[in-house]
Amino acid sequence: MRNSPEGLRNTLLIARRQLGAIRQDGTVLFLLGLVIALGLVAVVGARHHATGATEQRDRYQAMVDRQWVEQPERHPHRVIHYGFLVFREQAPLEFVDPGVSDYAGTSIYLEGHRQNTANFGEARHSTGMTRFGRLTPASVLALLLPLLVVVAGFAAVSAEREGGTLGVLLTQGATPAQILAGKVLATGAVGALATLPVALAVGVMAGPGLDSPASVTRLGVLAGIYGIYLAGWVLVTVLVSAVRTSSRSALAQLLALWVVICVATPRVAASVAGALYPLPSRAELTAQVEQALNEVGDSHRPDDPFFNALREEYLERYQVGAVEDLPVNWRGVLSRESEALTSRVFEDHRQELVKGHLRQNGVMAWSGFLSPYLAARDLSMGIAGSGPEAMEAFLAQAEAHRYTIIQRLNELHIREIQNENDRAQRLSREHWGQFPVFATEPPPLGGALADRPVSLAALGLWIGLPLTGLGLARRRLALIGTERSS
Amino acid sequence: MRAWARLLALDLRRLTRSAGTAAAIILLLVLGIYGAWRAGRNAEVARSSLAAAETAYDDQLDFLLSVYPPTTDAGEVLYYVAFPAPQPPLPVSALARGRAAVETESLRIRLLALEGQLYEHETVNPRLAAAGYLDLAFLLIALLPLFIIAVSYDLISGEREGGTWNLVRLFAPRRRLLAAKLASRAILVGAVAAVVMAAGALMAGIDLDGRAGWMFALVALHTIFWFALCLGVAMGNRSSTANAMILAGTWVVLTILAPAALSLANAVLHPVPEALELTVQQRQGYHEAWDLPPSATMESFYRDYPEWSGQAVPEDVFTWGWYYAMNHRGDQAARDASRAYREVLRERDAWARRWSLFAPPLATQLALDRLAGTDLAAQLDYQDAVRRFHERLKDHFFPHFFATAPIDAVKWDQVPRFEPAAPAGNAARAGFPAAITLILASGLALGVGARRARA
Repeated sequence: MRNSPEGLRNTLLIARRQLGAIRQDGTVLFLLGLVIALGLVAVVGARHHATGATEQRDRYQAMVDRQWVEQPERHPHRVIHYGFLVFREQAPLEFVDPGVSDYAGTSIYLEGHRQNTANFGEARHSTGMTRFGRLTPASVLALLLPLLVVVAGFAAVSAEREGGTLGVLLTQGATPAQILAGKVLATGAVGALATLPVALAVGVMAGPGLDSPASVTRLGVLAGIYGIYLAGWVLVTVLVSAVRTSSRSALAQLLALWVVICVATPRVAASVAGALYPLPSRAELTAQVEQALNEVGDSHRPDDPFFNALREEYLERYQVGAVEDLPVNWRGVLSRESEALTSRVFEDHRQELVKGHLRQNGVMAWSGFLSPYLAARDLSMGIAGSGPEAMEAFLAQAEAHRYTIIQRLNELHIREIQNENDRAQRLSREHWGQFPVFATEPPPLGGALADRPVSLAALGLWIGLPLTGLGLARRRLALIGTERSS
Repeated sequence: MRAWARLLALDLRRLTRSAGTAAAIILLLVLGIYGAWRAGRNAEVARSSLAAAETAYDDQLDFLLSVYPPTTDAGEVLYYVAFPAPQPPLPVSALARGRAAVETESLRIRLLALEGQLYEHETVNPRLAAAGYLDLAFLLIALLPLFIIAVSYDLISGEREGGTWNLVRLFAPRRRLLAAKLASRAILVGAVAAVVMAAGALMAGIDLDGRAGWMFALVALHTIFWFALCLGVAMGNRSSTANAMILAGTWVVLTILAPAALSLANAVLHPVPEALELTVQQRQGYHEAWDLPPSATMESFYRDYPEWSGQAVPEDVFTWGWYYAMNHRGDQAARDASRAYREVLRERDAWARRWSLFAPPLATQLALDRLAGTDLAAQLDYQDAVRRFHERLKDHFFPHFFATAPIDAVKWDQVPRFEPAAPAGNAARAGFPAAITLILASGLALGVGARRARA
């Protein structure tokens, strides 16, 4: 494109002409209004949902923390079984894109001897109606806005050709590049017009969540990702409009493209990922864990080889004849060692499952090349702090917290409880206030982006390919110009 | 008649010769065969999941009985035993996965407090679940209509815009021409749907019972509904592009927006705070009991089991009768929260079913899940069956605890077995409302279209 003031003027003229045509088209205006309305409903609804969930979690976390501190005098092993509940804190921007959070656990019951699964979030209580997920700002931006862009731009070039005005434009001095740029500008303007109110609403509604500069950065990057994604749709729309012979076939092709990218490919990818890397079913996994636990032994069982050896070691170390004479509490020692063994078994199996998830997620990431929708959503959930890694971080932090607290209780058992008449003893209440509280730490933004090179590349390609295509289409338009003028 | 057949053959040839249509047919067939293969895999996985629960139970029992001396208190060994509660899935569940993708119906239940054990879920990867899943129901309910739209949006307008309308009308009356064009499209779409469904039925090993019959009938009616809609829109005097936009818009509204809006309304109308409440209550109810004298726990236990009120437990020593009674106290504490939770979910389910009738594809989807036994109601029914099972296990084992029986006094072949929940609702009742909705909606679309055509 020539960068002369005249070139710019021509581009703007074409854009204005296109916007004028769009303004006269009731369908586009109607859709524009609809998308904006849906976007606003989505923002308000998602914010409401997130606030409710946060309030609920805060309430229960406070209740559980209070119950913990207000425990009566208890034997430490009693408290190990009493356990505690922890809740995942929502990331400030999670309401924009809930990512995978509806399908991952939000709370988990932590206790000794066991690793519980995080219980289900919102999807657990849904009726199977939402096969396309909830209406969220992210779904409006990624799923519905492209449709508006398509409807606003499918005829951008083809209508000029059908109406015979393309040749006129060309003979009057507009270059093909200026025409295409003008069309892109106008179509993009419609997309931007629809995005702006939604983005503003997100900014306003994020309110208290936006008090840190980190959140503002995240919001900016999020806007950038959706900007690129939608720009890709604008370019593709104008490109298809430029190369198709009729508006009708351009529309049909663009709609088909939308179906493939936004509807079919995500599900096919998820299904193929599941087929390529199948996970054990819950029943199978439980059986595997049980098997492994049988092998490591159990301190409750008589004549367990591991714990017999441990007893000999302790008797030798303290030079006593019976465990009752040990200066430390023998049952506490057993419990601590047993917890160390079983925790490793649970954690190993959980890690196996996580590895399976990562392999499956890899398939999803590479599918981003077929479906920029997947790439944009992947980046978006990473930035919003609601991606799989945030859920995994919560589970890992919860397990670390569980292990720390259980072993602290075991240490109390070992040091503070006498061997004789063990079970009848109690620890005083002030102990309960001295345990660390649980806090979720979401993964940093830099990590979220660095972990997604494939999705970033896929999104880059989504812009790059149609740009190249437009470069080629320019020549074809130029040919029309010479035909007409000759 | 011969002329009509020739017209039909001509139109079929014209349709299949278009590169776009051919590509769409191939894509649908590939996805359909793939979906059918996945359905077969799903059925296999479900079977192996059930078998895993049974095998694990046997293995665990063998192991426990080999390490614990036969004189050990029954209560101590039974603390570890997890009894299998496998719900055999309906064969048709392979076609409409519904919630089966995320929920397990192969739980194993210990004699401990039940509420903490009921809500285990499948080992699902949240990333995949969030992307949505692909089953044959999705293919036939969500994707097939798009193909119908693609081949029918320019049914009349295409001829008009191509300038062929007046030409062909010279040779055939308008009605006959339209009938031929519709018939050729119906044959094409019907063939694709039939291949996909037959492949699914074959690969998942589905026998054609009432449920499968209703499912196929609903898919057929749903397909007819979209044809009616396309025809209704085509009869209006609009351009092809306008038709395409109207039909694609209708698809988006019925398939994406209506479910999302209804689901949002459902969640707002029926909030479920009780999910956390019952976990907290059960834990508190059970653990408080340790700090109370055993008689206090037993009193509340006898309220639920008056038949055992003669069985006192000693105050000063640990007994397994008291231990399991304390676990029961946990369930008692969570009882109200648990009931409220289930009621809200039942309300959500009923509400969704009622309001889905305004969006025929959604009604079809929910009906298919219901027929397949993979909907929310089926999940709740399963949980109720597990509750009954837990009760029967308690009935069986509490006498052992009160008598401080040793583990070798347990007659393992007399231990209650899980009785699966009956398949949700009867097939006709599950399918009928959706079928009526589809028929009425089809009639409406055609009626409105015909009036516009005359106007």
